[in-house]
Amino acid sequence: MADKLRYAYYPGCASQEITKEANVTTRLVARKLGIELHDMPKASCCGAGLLTDYDYQLYIAINARIFAEAEQMGMDIMTICSTCLMVMRTANYNLKTSPELLAKTNEILATVGLHYRGTVEVKQLLWVLAGEYGLNNLKKKVVKPLDWMKIAPFYGCHSLRPSNALGFDDPEMPQSLDKVIEALGAQPVDYSGKTKCCGFQVDLVAVETAEVMTATRLLDGKKHGANCFVTPCPFCHINLDNYQNLAEKQVEKKIEMPVFHLSQLVGLALGLTPQDIGLSRHLVSPSRILR
Amino acid sequence: MKIKFNIRRFNPDDSKLNEPYFQAYDVEVTEGMTVLEALLKINEEQDPTLAFRKSCRSAICGSCAMKVNGFSKLTCSLQVIPEYKKKGRMVIEPLANHKQVKDLVVDLNPFWKKIEKVTPYLTPMDKEHEERSVSEEDEKTIDQSQRCIMCGCCNSECNALEIDSKFIAPAALAKAWRFVGDVREGDKKKRLERLSEEHGMWDCVRCIHCTQYCPKDVAPLKQIEMLRSSAMKAGILDNPGAKHVEAMADSVRRVGRLDEAAMTFKTLGFLRSIGMIPFGLKMELHGKMPLPILFPKIEKIEEVKKIYEEAAKQGTEQEKKKEE
Repeated sequence: MADKLRYAYYPGCASQEITKEANVTTRLVARKLGIELHDMPKASCCGAGLLTDYDYQLYIAINARIFAEAEQMGMDIMTICSTCLMVMRTANYNLKTSPELLAKTNEILATVGLHYRGTVEVKQLLWVLAGEYGLNNLKKKVVKPLDWMKIAPFYGCHSLRPSNALGFDDPEMPQSLDKVIEALGAQPVDYSGKTKCCGFQVDLVAVETAEVMTATRLLDGKKHGANCFVTPCPFCHINLDNYQNLAEKQVEKKIEMPVFHLSQLVGLALGLTPQDIGLSRHLVSPSRILR
Repeated sequence: MKIKFNIRRFNPDDSKLNEPYFQAYDVEVTEGMTVLEALLKINEEQDPTLAFRKSCRSAICGSCAMKVNGFSKLTCSLQVIPEYKKKGRMVIEPLANHKQVKDLVVDLNPFWKKIEKVTPYLTPMDKEHEERSVSEEDEKTIDQSQRCIMCGCCNSECNALEIDSKFIAPAALAKAWRFVGDVREGDKKKRLERLSEEHGMWDCVRCIHCTQYCPKDVAPLKQIEMLRSSAMKAGILDNPGAKHVEAMADSVRRVGRLDEAAMTFKTLGFLRSIGMIPFGLKMELHGKMPLPILFPKIEKIEEVKKIYEEAAKQGTEQEKKKEE
């Protein structure tokens, strides 16, 4: 790495509340890796896809306001949420490929004294680790290889699709999370559910679908020999961990699968303690697979 | 170049083998050969009993959709050698989320039933509107949804349909927008009401498989988003899906962020929220219960409020222009 990596840091709403542990851990991990994270105090919610259903132009403008803040800071955005990643990158892709949309959106931004030129890129922690930071550099920082862990990488939907707006991983054979797991000394488990959906978007709308889906993914990874899951997305984490018990009841099967945030797994390998990374906040305790 | 094709076969008439199984075929492939051409070659040279659908061989008829190495594709527009080089294997299976009838042929009756459910033809307006011309601009809003060739790739990839067979699914939803978005349609509101029912458009899990794997760039998710916002603008709000979106839009306008406790309450309503209390307490034991009151606002929230007003203003102006 020639220069120090610096990002406008966008943890996303979930990791400022329900999944706080992911936010806290990401900050600790970034410090250990020498990545600078700069807060965005004005940044609003990206809309999590729901604002897209409400009003398309509003969704674009709200996101453009976030990009304008990062543009003023002179930095790209790093998020730790796949849904934020997908929503923001899709908005940014549409703005960058349609001068008409960019102009219309800037008309709206002008009423609050803002302007977006279209120079910001949005990334997530996973991409930064597997991309700009680099797997070899990450490997060098590992002090406690996780060599006893067999981990199911759960990419989830929004770090892969739509690939025209996302584009980092191949949606049919993603590698980044598998490679990060290997760099931390652990063994990735292959299973078909790794590119599928956790069901989060319908948690409150189609409860049974969401719970059966969550159980299906967890059981798939378990069948292929995983002793834990890791996900780059806090919403996937909410379903796979917080709601695992409800999912178990729905399918009448015991699952008992610990689920880590990506930052937590990296943190463990870099020598952070279970307290540092907030493991007591998980509903399915990961303590039995810790060493 | 010789490539091994692993094909998932099934023959319901074979009493010994009443279960799907994989059969391997070695095929000599040439540069530019499509997966469909390779299957035809197997048919002609090795095994005339291998069953699959095909017709136009030009990505127009939509008959030859199958799963290739795990993902739904039109086999007539997918070349063997690049796919094999990328994946290191060649596994052919029938479309998912549909019953395998024989080998690579699936029962598409449920697929057609779903399409029929959205009334795939125009409902005329009343007598006053005897003639309604369609401008180029009008056509643009439904153009993408009209590209569908009914191949079934989207429904095969749909994660909500994988779990809930009653889900209306992306193909029919994209078709629904074809008519809801048509300026000549007379029954928009009734259509949107029906689509807002259980197993309807709000049950989409936004996994984006449909848009990713549609070979014709119909982008079904985009059509679903347009259906949803049309329903909300038409005032069809008394269902969990629309309530969820309203709660979200309200939360972002008020505090700039997602206020999870308020969203849960507004989506589920009072009675169902009470049912969540035991679960909420369990979350609280782990410090995971979101703050229900005094949610902290972002800085310059007034900018967000102003953006809401301006976007709404732009929307109304556009509607006016359209009517003129």
